[in-house]
Amino acid sequence: MSDSPGLSRAQVAVLYLVLTTAIASGIAIYSSATTITSLLKTATSGLFLPILLAMIVAFMLEPLVRLIENRGIHRTLAIFCIYLLISGTIVLLLLLIGPPNWRSMIQALKADVPRYVSFAIVYLTGLLELAQQHFPFIAHYNLGDHLRDFSQTLIGAILIQTPRSAMRIGSLLILVPLFSFFFLRDSRRIMRGIIALTPNRYFEMVLDIYSHVSWQLSNFIRGRIIEAIIVGLVVWAGLALTDIRYAPILAVIAGVSNLVPYVGPIFGMLPGITIALVDLGVGAQFWWILCVYILIAQIIVDNMILIPILISKVSNLHPLWVILAIIMGGKLYGILGMIIGVPIASIINIVILEIRQYRRTFNPYNRYFSSRGKML
Amino acid sequence: MTSNPFWHNIFRNQADKQTLSYFLSQVPIFNKLTRRELAYLEKLVHIRNFEADEMIFSAGDVGSGMYIIRSGQVQIFSLDTDGLEQELALLEPGDFFGEVALTASRPRSASARATTATSLVGLFRSDILEATHRHPAPTAKILFGLNRVLADRLLHCSEQLVMLQRSSNISQGRPHE
Repeated sequence: MSDSPGLSRAQVAVLYLVLTTAIASGIAIYSSATTITSLLKTATSGLFLPILLAMIVAFMLEPLVRLIENRGIHRTLAIFCIYLLISGTIVLLLLLIGPPNWRSMIQALKADVPRYVSFAIVYLTGLLELAQQHFPFIAHYNLGDHLRDFSQTLIGAILIQTPRSAMRIGSLLILVPLFSFFFLRDSRRIMRGIIALTPNRYFEMVLDIYSHVSWQLSNFIRGRIIEAIIVGLVVWAGLALTDIRYAPILAVIAGVSNLVPYVGPIFGMLPGITIALVDLGVGAQFWWILCVYILIAQIIVDNMILIPILISKVSNLHPLWVILAIIMGGKLYGILGMIIGVPIASIINIVILEIRQYRRTFNPYNRYFSSRGKML
Repeated sequence: MTSNPFWHNIFRNQADKQTLSYFLSQVPIFNKLTRRELAYLEKLVHIRNFEADEMIFSAGDVGSGMYIIRSGQVQIFSLDTDGLEQELALLEPGDFFGEVALTASRPRSASARATTATSLVGLFRSDILEATHRHPAPTAKILFGLNRVLADRLLHCSEQLVMLQRSSNISQGRPHE
């Protein structure tokens, strides 16, 4: 090396040192970056759901807090009043009605779910055999086995997850009220702090967009949640008239699945219809349950009454975008992603619509030309 | 008690005058507000700092609020058909501008530029709209103050217009009606 014509001994030494330092620091930065991201990932892993739920709770309670605040009461005190009121109502309900017998209901469900699933499998296999008679080429698609495997893994997962999810619900009961308290009290201050960071030239635009997005989003979320609660209540009332079991659980499923537009209600009625088929058979009650799910809950209550009142204020997305948002959200975060995919898509929609108004702001040559195109 | 400048600086007066709410109370629009309403207004406004020669807004931008000058100097100008700048006004601390955009989303009619390092207090439409829901009474008082100053300006303008019309009638030799 020292004999090489171009470089002296000292230069080689410096080069060697520089290269080693560069490689070493590269490795160090890479490893520390991956450690930091993995640390961040583990640190924030359980926080997504409580923060999301706390934001939803904050959006729901905001009008109530505002109502009390308008009477000249300090905001923090108003939030405490609302919290006291809500916990008081829950305690009162528990005292009056008694805690719902969730445990025995879930135990019974655990015993019954395999029965319902095996019925569905038998039913589907029958359908498949019928299909195979007409279309022999699908014979090697053994759908029944697939379904059986899937249902077994699903039941196993439910059995394992139940104690763990009980723990998670316990932590949610503490975290969600705490987070939503701070969101309610300080969200304005936090958002003002973030907006204040924008450069002068974009400040007015960002402020306007923020106010539009927050208005639309709060209306959208409030509307969606109220819609889901009312649909759930309607389904509960309709099912309570029949002899079907698990009416409260089926109502909760119908309400939650109603949060996913278009696709959700269809999946929300499947368990109810299966249970009705197995327990009650095809009869007057079965047709009534089908009628409750489709005609009363979906068409009359949801599409004719609730959506025009609650959601129509918000700028609507084209159904194609809605379905794309549901699919993409589902790929990323499962059922939760399906529910929050649509609000996120509508945020993007509002931001794009708003920014179009401000396109002049983004024109970099704006300052150098007059409005008639003359150079300044 | 001797007024020791050291203690004088630490206690009250001097520090009091540095606060945002003291500044706001000196602005004509807000001088009828109580201490509590000023504290509320302080949470409503945004402080924006501009460098010398930085544009605050250009004519034609979508406006969303008004600015009050806390310190520095602001030049209001428009461009004529040849693209030359025509200075309309040079504003000093305590003056306000851009109030047309506060009530409706209109394009700015003129451009504004900071001539020196300038600190502005911005009051924006979206904040006012939200405040009308949250605290209607103080917001009404703030808007009333703004309305009073604007009405004074309008009165002054129409008086000047009448005077101009009179003088033009006299110069054209037509009899005064």
